[in-house]
Amino acid sequence: MYRNKRHFNKERRHFIKKIAIGSSAILFSFGLPIFSISSSAEDGKPDQLASILIDFSKCTGCRTCEAICSSFNNLENIDESLMPGIGNPYHANIKVYNYNPDIDVPSVCSLCSDAPCIQACPISEDPVTNRKALFRDNKTNAIVSDPTRCIGCGNCQEACKNESSGIIRLNRATGMPEGICNLCGGDPQCVKHCPYGALRFEKQTINYSFDRMSPDEIAKQLTKQNYLI
Amino acid sequence: MTIKQSGYYNALLHINLTTGKITKKGICAEDIKDYVGGRGLGMKLLWDHIKQPGINPLSEENPLIFLPGPFSGFPIPSVSRTCVVTKSPCTSPIQSNYPHASTVSYSNFGGFFGPEIKFAGYDGIFITGKSPTPVFIQINNDNVEIKDASNYWGMGTDKFDKIFIQDLSDRRYRTCYIGPAGENLVPYASIIHTASRAAGRGVGCVMGSKNLKAIAVKGSKLPDVADHNMLVKKMTGARNYFKGFSRGKILSNIFRKNGTAFLFEKKSKKGQMSVKNFQEGTFPQVDRINADAARNKLWVRNYSCYCCPLSCKKSGVIKQGKYKGLLVHDGPEYETGTMLGANLMISELEGIMKLIYDGDDYGLDIISAGNVIGFLMEAYEKGIIDKDDLGGIDLTWGNVEASIKMLEKICSKEGIGALASQGVKALSKKLESGSDFAMHVKGLEIAAHNVQANPEKGISYSTSNRGACHQNGETVKKQNSITLIDSLGICKFACTTPLGLSTKKLAGLLESITGIKRSADELLMVGERIFNLEKMFNYREGFGRQDDNLPERFFNDAFTIGTEKGAVLDRDEFDTVLLKYYQERGWDTKSSKPEKSKLAQLGLEFTYS
Ligand code: SF4
Ligand code: SF4
Ligand code: SF4
Repeated sequence: MYRNKRHFNKERRHFIKKIAIGSSAILFSFGLPIFSISSSAEDGKPDQLASILIDFSKCTGCRTCEAICSSFNNLENIDESLMPGIGNPYHANIKVYNYNPDIDVPSVCSLCSDAPCIQACPISEDPVTNRKALFRDNKTNAIVSDPTRCIGCGNCQEACKNESSGIIRLNRATGMPEGICNLCGGDPQCVKHCPYGALRFEKQTINYSFDRMSPDEIAKQLTKQNYLI
Repeated sequence: MTIKQSGYYNALLHINLTTGKITKKGICAEDIKDYVGGRGLGMKLLWDHIKQPGINPLSEENPLIFLPGPFSGFPIPSVSRTCVVTKSPCTSPIQSNYPHASTVSYSNFGGFFGPEIKFAGYDGIFITGKSPTPVFIQINNDNVEIKDASNYWGMGTDKFDKIFIQDLSDRRYRTCYIGPAGENLVPYASIIHTASRAAGRGVGCVMGSKNLKAIAVKGSKLPDVADHNMLVKKMTGARNYFKGFSRGKILSNIFRKNGTAFLFEKKSKKGQMSVKNFQEGTFPQVDRINADAARNKLWVRNYSCYCCPLSCKKSGVIKQGKYKGLLVHDGPEYETGTMLGANLMISELEGIMKLIYDGDDYGLDIISAGNVIGFLMEAYEKGIIDKDDLGGIDLTWGNVEASIKMLEKICSKEGIGALASQGVKALSKKLESGSDFAMHVKGLEIAAHNVQANPEKGISYSTSNRGACHQNGETVKKQNSITLIDSLGICKFACTTPLGLSTKKLAGLLESITGIKRSADELLMVGERIFNLEKMFNYREGFGRQDDNLPERFFNDAFTIGTEKGAVLDRDEFDTVLLKYYQERGWDTKSSKPEKSKLAQLGLEFTYS
């Protein structure tokens, strides 16, 4: 569901200007990071979007990001004003998957530059807005679903599962896509509130093989790398 | 009709495994107010359910209660705890009219289980009865099913943790389960979560007695709160408390860096470590098992519980030697590393880790298991038992292989294991020897904090309502505070004074959730009420002054090494301090029974009929 309308931070707009187009995510190994993330967003490849990058050497699996995402994006109507919800992680757009051997994989929309999800959407482009029922927001670059046009076919879910990280789920009641990160309107709250600084909202500077992988696949690789299995 | 209390569902999930009946029942709003949740609400529910003393803890009647607290599930730091409350299969009084007399047992574990109970729409799960065949319970919001678990019976917890979640085909389920030790009804069996987080102190045995292998839960709810605005503000405040240049940050840095392993060095130096079955307080080889050694040899990453900024848990793998490749789900922690390390004179870190892994995999309480093996090593050294008694095991101090075999025997109750699984109190009784170095209180084994040079800990152990407990608190005030914390669903580590969240902060959070305004002192009174109700439960079973005792060793065997060489407790002093403790508690100094006036003051009149 599209809940991208609350603005909590004015500086956000400023930040958005820096973002170019294109995307993917970067990952670190535990212990010493193999790759370092450049500190400035401008250093990245020109065709890349800033996206949520996960530093696996820092993530402890605390799931604060889930709880925060859920409360920020599920506003509750309290005394006629909209307040952040309380935060059941079930409703979060970032999901932390827990594995044995102990690995935690936060999984969030990769903001694929080619957006297979949009490509798979069968609804024709609106002549005025040029948008399908699933489209890229031109301010934040996040993928947005339009509930007034979506027919709940689930093609986007399939595409995301087959070609990317598989983060789309279908709402049980409406059949419409859910779980797509909306970047909190450009100021990702999960990044801000991760107690371990494991998340960053930046342009990636290197293509990493974990990009667009499912949590299961990532866990498999990290397990091999870290637990000698 | 129950009145709805903000911050709760007023709903308890009742499951009777004998009849298979599943019902949702209300909880009285008064009880929620007076006992808040977790350990407290569990105690009240236990009291209401068990109307007479002496019921068999392994009978169908004994409930096994899983409780989150009022904080659970909200994005408040460290609100990860699940409390399990039941009647203990481990404890027994010196004298009682009832054959199955035992204390209450409450045990809490971190991770993600308690919050998920909350998400599923319940303030607790109340399990009674006994299934004729092995089962597990699957809870998905209102959808609750009892399912066959025969295929899993006998499976170690590590393997089960991996396979069960795959079979559920949804990683959003949170699970807890018992291992073979619980199935075999070893009294000190644990309930395990994420292959290593454990609720010990006997609760796993009760779960086994119900033929219940596991519980899986997931949900998508959260209850309404009294003051949304205020809660959001206070939650943010509590999270920020652990950021920047704050006391909370100092606290979190300690845990992040070393976990509880930072205590090895510190405790050993102060003579407060349990070494060689509590004969010593200092472990000369401590540098071989401390945090630095573990970091070099084992640790891979920090692993934290729900919304916790501390991440005290360390995951890793044994990187070389004989046990190369063995997973380290947690450790060593101070408690597990000491009980299966220093207490057995084992200084080989990899060996300790193998023992911890096995203990967790069997689903054994590692405190009790380490204590029992320590007792047997000493009995073997003294010639009270011989190699034949031990089924050929050469159980010498520091012997890793022998300890591995002993753990296995305890879990399977085979040979000497049948007796050893009953704990040190039963062991020394049966051997008619060694009661002076059987390190327990009320039948429950003492933990990794030694007493001779740390007399206050003696009060913690002797006055604890579940038998020897290192987390009970050394003073009345501390005990009330810890009882309260155990009832809120938040972790003690995040609330440890002087660095952790203050009781005032906790009071503010609770007020915004429940709408009930209470000062820090009023909240501490909740802790006091709960502690006294537990005490009355035990008193009714026949536990009195004589049971609030310590093993002879603490009074007789002075340390022979370390900075605290010569340290030993003074019996008279202990008696005097205990007397003062009773006075401060408002308990009768002879019998230890809470005075009527005290009970009335706490609203516990219903206990003295
Ligand atoms: S909040 Fe940060 S450390 Fe915690 S699970 Fe999310 S990414 Fe990992
Ligand atoms: S929803 Fe899936 S396919 Fe679409 S951009 Fe995000 S990760 Fe890529
Ligand atoms: S950026 Fe916002 S919407 Fe996206 S995962 Fe993070 S908190 Fe959720």
